[in-house]
Amino acid sequence: MKISESFKNLKKQNKTGLIIYITAGCPDIAFTEEFAEKLQDVGVDMIELGVPFSDPIADGPVIQQASQKALENRTNLESILKLCQRLKQRMNIPYLLMSYYNPVYRYGLEKFAADCSVAGVAGLIVPDVPFEESQPLNDHLKKYDIDLILFISSTTSEKRRKKILKFGSGFIYYIAVHGVTGVRDTLPEYIYEDVSSLRRQSKIPIAVGFGISNQKQLYRLKGCADAVIIGSYVMKEIMSGNYAHLLETLNSFNEVLKSD
Amino acid sequence: MIRLPDRKGRFGIYGGKFAPETLMAPIEQLENAYFSIGRSRQFRKEFSYYLKQYVGRPTPLYFASNLSEIISCKVYLKREDLAFTGAHKINNTVGQVLLAKKMGKTRVIAETGAGQHGVATATAAALFKMKCEIYMGEVDMQRQALNVYRMKLLGAKVTCVKSGSRTLKDAINEAMRDWISSFKDTHYVIGTVVGFHPFPVMVRDFQSVIGKEAKKQILKAEGRLPDFLIACVGGGSNSMGLFFPFFRNKNVKFIGVEAAGKGIDTDFHAATLCRGTPGILHGNFSYVLQDKEGQIHPTHSVSAGLDYPGIGPEHSYYKDTGRAEYYAATDQQVLKAFHILSEAEGIIPALESSHALAYMIENKNRFKQDDIVIVCLSGRGDKDVNEVARIEGIPL
Repeated sequence: MKISESFKNLKKQNKTGLIIYITAGCPDIAFTEEFAEKLQDVGVDMIELGVPFSDPIADGPVIQQASQKALENRTNLESILKLCQRLKQRMNIPYLLMSYYNPVYRYGLEKFAADCSVAGVAGLIVPDVPFEESQPLNDHLKKYDIDLILFISSTTSEKRRKKILKFGSGFIYYIAVHGVTGVRDTLPEYIYEDVSSLRRQSKIPIAVGFGISNQKQLYRLKGCADAVIIGSYVMKEIMSGNYAHLLETLNSFNEVLKSD
Repeated sequence: MIRLPDRKGRFGIYGGKFAPETLMAPIEQLENAYFSIGRSRQFRKEFSYYLKQYVGRPTPLYFASNLSEIISCKVYLKREDLAFTGAHKINNTVGQVLLAKKMGKTRVIAETGAGQHGVATATAAALFKMKCEIYMGEVDMQRQALNVYRMKLLGAKVTCVKSGSRTLKDAINEAMRDWISSFKDTHYVIGTVVGFHPFPVMVRDFQSVIGKEAKKQILKAEGRLPDFLIACVGGGSNSMGLFFPFFRNKNVKFIGVEAAGKGIDTDFHAATLCRGTPGILHGNFSYVLQDKEGQIHPTHSVSAGLDYPGIGPEHSYYKDTGRAEYYAATDQQVLKAFHILSEAEGIIPALESSHALAYMIENKNRFKQDDIVIVCLSGRGDKDVNEVARIEGIPL
């Protein structure tokens, strides 16, 4: 499914989307495959599959550790794209890849875009490629109708926001905290107003991520953002083996976001 | 003549700004500050004052007559080991911390490998009354324990980095993560010509004092420009500082010497330009030591300061255009050079700088009797004495 389609459905029902990040290959690829389906069953709207990288500068300890684990299992883009290929038949929600630029660059931009397309990947998130450096990658992805998700943070200047909103596709990834990924109890107060005003200017949806881990935050974000993204919290629970509890929690999170 | 880098921070195809979105604003702020304040006459005057009165510049260009006899050519040593704190690193940190002060920052952070950049940052932070935190890999903290204590004496907090290979690359990761959340009051003092634009050009400019002085000094001593410039290359700041002012003097050959560790055909080296391939690491596009899947390789070198899998983008540009030649020296060759200079000239060189000397010693035949060679003696070897004794099995 296309990302835009998913958001169209959410908008029709006036609901806030839930996007879940998991590091592919942590603890192993078979788990990721099984868990992706379970996430779909819980009612998650989109899944982000993290490609592990040796030097994840935008990530906090949890995702660093998850990446390390995945690398130890020799998880790579090839095995992740094969996983996506297998998921293609069984998933009716969009799934995206999130990768630092070097593994993608090394794979070859054209081959990467073509293989993503075959594997049904709907979008790509690259935390170390800002708008200014995005063109070569975007040119290849566009050919295959794959969305390149751009970021905006509260520090992003007006001038850059305008450009990012103009060229962004799929959705805008709004970074909720000044910091790396990781679990936080609360989000800075100013972001709610910032997200609302951004949403008024934007023709594509705004998804808020970084630091989200509890219902309190979700109540605030419901209706304010088009979707929320949860990653570190999920990986923390996965690495401590609390799968059943995690799925229950995500179910309750989704209920919050989908409530009237 | 095209001025490099261009406005996007590119040296040919290399360089750029591969930064997380949150850092784009502080990077832009730094870019504006550097190109307005940092290049103003007033700033340069103040910077020169501190380089002269505090760092002790100009450093001598010393004619090493005994070494010249060994190599059979005229060897001059650019004595960065005599700069305050014992290495060229201080040139850059005084420049950056002074700029940070003018930008209204109150805290500086830095990564360090050998500890020289950490010490130099802590020193400049003390001078300009800034809070200071240094990130250092656990492995490096063990092999450079003395420098850890020096940083603490200077009032800095030293944070041990236990992620990844626990060396310089991981210390940079951790410093960048700090900066993502602290940029409002904090400046990140990158120690070499890597990172997002404008770091590579800014660090190069601050280090160019090495080459500018050397040029004047050699003209005075010999009445002509040198035939060769030789410097060690880790991230590439002392070499770029020496090379850049000679860029347009096409008859001056540049030689950069990387760390071959246990050999460039083994898995234990840090010879990024000799053995790497283009990729994206730490904010720029440049040569990188990586596997076929784009994961960054762990590196090895006897010298912590060269133990890095990346390289400044301007060096990648020099390599591809043939402006500079790059070679690598093994740990063994480096230790030999370390002893040769100590005994021949009474100068104990840093293991990093010993790479440049090793190339010259191993390739004596390349240099003719009348050739003038300037070697950048980027740092002094006191910090390495314990480690060398340990490697050679000498109890202290």
